[in-house]
Amino acid sequence: MKEILYQLLSAFVGSMGFALVFGMRRRYLFAASLGALLGWGVYLLTEHFLSNSFLPPLLAAAFALSYSEIMAKALKTPATLFVVPAIIPLVPGGSLYYTMSYAVQRDMANARVYGTRTLESALAIAAGISFVLAVRELRTKRQG
Amino acid sequence: MELTRYQQYYLLDCMLEMGELLLDCGAEISRVEDTLTRVGTAYGAKRTDVFVIPSLISITLNYPEKEPVTETRRIHSTGGTDFYRMEKLNSLSRDCCREPIDLKELRARLDHVAAGKKPFSVVFWGSVLGGGGFAVFFGGTLLDGLAGAIFGAGICLLQYALGRTELNPVASNLIVSLLTGLAIGIVAGLIPALHMDKIMIGDIMLMIPGLAMTNALRNILVGNTISGTMRLAECLTWAGALAGGFMVALALVDRIF
Repeated sequence: MKEILYQLLSAFVGSMGFALVFGMRRRYLFAASLGALLGWGVYLLTEHFLSNSFLPPLLAAAFALSYSEIMAKALKTPATLFVVPAIIPLVPGGSLYYTMSYAVQRDMANARVYGTRTLESALAIAAGISFVLAVRELRTKRQG
Repeated sequence: MELTRYQQYYLLDCMLEMGELLLDCGAEISRVEDTLTRVGTAYGAKRTDVFVIPSLISITLNYPEKEPVTETRRIHSTGGTDFYRMEKLNSLSRDCCREPIDLKELRARLDHVAAGKKPFSVVFWGSVLGGGGFAVFFGGTLLDGLAGAIFGAGICLLQYALGRTELNPVASNLIVSLLTGLAIGIVAGLIPALHMDKIMIGDIMLMIPGLAMTNALRNILVGNTISGTMRLAECLTWAGALAGGFMVALALVDRIF
């Protein structure tokens, strides 16, 4: 439990850092970082209930994108502002690092495992994003 | 709103400027095209054709009973991310579409946006928080977080210094990642309480072209295939340079300790 809290808080702080690096104004900072915290929460929840490595990042990315679009509507700013901070914790930085690290140590078996994991997460995020975009497209087309 | 020929060209120039600024602060292609089309229509064009790829903007305005006016601009920026300006541009284009503002005023407001980049201090503290936060996020201790924050500050300063030399992004990514990797490896080697892997991961996160990659993907998914694949190829090359730099650093650190 303590570890989960630790992760959620550091996701919040880290993505706040990102929002700042991208020049986010203070007014939106909290909403953007909250997206990361909630997105990571969705990831942890789905990971707990589904023993699967593809679905959690997919669902979390889909959640993050929906959250961003809702926030953007509410605050009347481009959704891009919220998408990146919300998705950042899902980026497979860890597995990317271990892929490189094992490759340098010539431990190709492990490098392959982590390399596959990196690609898998990247694909899952892409799938999650495209899913939400497709749903939105369908809805606007029907209204229009 | 009836514009003279001179005013039409003046408007075109303003629109190109707006498009260039949007691309420069990291807006997706579809947003740039959409915004410019709306602005053109708001200023009375019967039909506005806008074509945007990361390196080019082309706009044609058609008016009733007149020849169309068209202009093209080559874009050299590599597209950073600046929410600060993006947001100002967003509200400027909203104002234009609600009621066309005077062209001279439009120009003045664009110049104002162009001059107001995101403050460096904000980027600096952002790097500190980001590097530290993600070192902890990926399983580091608070001490690792502190180290990640310090190296985050270093990366920010290094990127700023390299940004002024206008080096191409592949070369600068390679240099920054190599130096950062070496510095982290040596410091973590000397202080056994630090976990080298966690600190490096936190700082790698700072350098991964996250927004550019997400945007590339969104571009492809909404049908802007040329722009999307172009950006994606760029991002993968940068990421490759990043990985290359870190791998060389890791190999060297392995030799030292």
